[in-house]
Amino acid sequence: MVGKVLVANRGEIALRVVRACRELGVRSVAVYSTADADSLHRMLADEAVCIGPPPASGSYLNVPAIISAAELTGADAIHPGYGFLAENARFAEICERVRLKFVGPSSRVIARMGDKAEARKVAREAGVPVTPGSDGACESVAEVRRVGSEVGYPLVIKASAAGGGKGMRVVRDEAEVEDAYREASREATAHFGDGSVYVEKFLEKLRHVEVQVLADSFGTRVAFPERDCSIQRRYQKLVEESPAPGLPPEAREGLTSAAISLIDALGYEGAGTVEFVFSDGDFYFIEMNTRLQVEHPVTEMVSGVDLVAEQLKVASGERLEVPDEALTPNGHAIEFRINAEDPRRNFLPQAGPVEFYNPPGGPGVRVDSHLYAGYKVPPYYDSLLAKLIVHGADREGAVRRGMRALDEFALVGLETTLPLHLAILEDEEFRRGGVNTDFLAVRELRNESGLLRLATAGAPSA
Amino acid sequence: MPQDETRREVLPFEEVERLVDLVRRSGIGEIRVRQGDVEISVKARAETAATAGAPKGAAPQDAAAAETEELSAAERDGLHPVRSPLVGTFYRAPAPGEEPYVEVGDRVKAGEILCIVEAMKLMNEIAADVSGEVVEVLAENAGGVEYDQPLFYIRPEE
Repeated sequence: MVGKVLVANRGEIALRVVRACRELGVRSVAVYSTADADSLHRMLADEAVCIGPPPASGSYLNVPAIISAAELTGADAIHPGYGFLAENARFAEICERVRLKFVGPSSRVIARMGDKAEARKVAREAGVPVTPGSDGACESVAEVRRVGSEVGYPLVIKASAAGGGKGMRVVRDEAEVEDAYREASREATAHFGDGSVYVEKFLEKLRHVEVQVLADSFGTRVAFPERDCSIQRRYQKLVEESPAPGLPPEAREGLTSAAISLIDALGYEGAGTVEFVFSDGDFYFIEMNTRLQVEHPVTEMVSGVDLVAEQLKVASGERLEVPDEALTPNGHAIEFRINAEDPRRNFLPQAGPVEFYNPPGGPGVRVDSHLYAGYKVPPYYDSLLAKLIVHGADREGAVRRGMRALDEFALVGLETTLPLHLAILEDEEFRRGGVNTDFLAVRELRNESGLLRLATAGAPSA
Repeated sequence: MPQDETRREVLPFEEVERLVDLVRRSGIGEIRVRQGDVEISVKARAETAATAGAPKGAAPQDAAAAETEELSAAERDGLHPVRSPLVGTFYRAPAPGEEPYVEVGDRVKAGEILCIVEAMKLMNEIAADVSGEVVEVLAENAGGVEYDQPLFYIRPEE
């Protein structure tokens, strides 16, 4: 087993990794910026090193500072969490060079999957269905037009360098290609320093379904029950659940075997997620995230497997031991992201002191959060404050438990997405299950005597 | 250090009491006394509200928190802290076996090199940001230092 793990992250995910280390008897080192001096990850880790000023570029993205902190504390592994340096192939490569075990796949695999056009190519070669579109990057307007005439409009132009909706343009017909190509390429250059783009058929009605995978260095590879992350706002996931409601069994099997084929082709090691879109009964590969994801607890709740502990075991060169029954979902789990954003004021980010904090408890409830009463939410980082995960015998039970737990969740001092989640759970279509990614876009939030409600646009108010 | 072990068990309570008295009467921000393994520091200022609200952490964090406290007390005495601009290993001399850049009592000019902080095999020379007298060396030679950690106290020239 690795002896000491430096956690190169902050907030709830740093805490999640520190907790796994503690349970495995592995020492943990927190790194923190001066803005995070009062943060729980700093306090709960065995050791802590201040690595830089508040802006992430000087601290959580500061590679020399993080490597120095690992050297000073004698850490032998680095867990990157998610975000920050988690999918930075250069960082993984530096760790490899200085003999620090990067908890994740090799820098080569990270680089291959980080280039989205290349990832499509790898997937296609592995026999994984990809959305109809270009073979790799599109070098010119003419090439986009050629793909358009082959697969039909609408198309979507995407940046090779990343996801998250940046550098993305929907093209309705051939006349729009030229402007959209230029804009997407310019935006991709501005955000990622790489203007290359690729083209896919734009699927209007789709669900976001993904498969959690885990692989060790001995060739053991497992794929867990799928997660449905279709409730999104501006490409940011808000609610995730497992299993995906109403998915046909053959689609489920197809997703699992596609995910396994891809990681076989890559020689993948560690935890990762293969993301698909599910549209009209067919599924297509979109990308692979070569790291732990925010929504990993949903899988942990239905499989009983501690994914972070397994990551650390794999990084230590141990064999995976995932029992077969863990690969069939036990009950149903839903995660709600509690963000410091005010849903009543166009999701305005919130920062400042948490005056009162009392998370829900009771059966089937898990809260992963770095909050405590008196903690000040700094304005420098992402808005995730807490993840509420509920587990029930079936989806209906999980929804009821979610309502109960959200209702119990007491957080004073900041506006959060808590009331939005209650409104989502009250929505009839959500309750039926299997909604598309445009679920929130086609609805509007209404304030009805202090309570938030979702209504389909144009519907009369109650 | 077995002899320190026994010394540690005997809390010099009267001494502490005398120091507290002295701090109170003199209006000095802080007094620190070091004897072997035992170090006593008496500060005039109360804990700040921010740290009082936070859960109790493990030992290394508490030490760091105390540092911030000490600092404000020292700063009120007009001392200027020179802080580390990066995480690394602190060296007082340009090379092993050589004389330290500065000693306590030395007068330094702003821009004069005080020490080296090494990170990823790169030697970063740290210069004084004010002119004055070196009053205290706060970090241990060849030990690790954090970002923003005070390395020296300088009494700035009037």
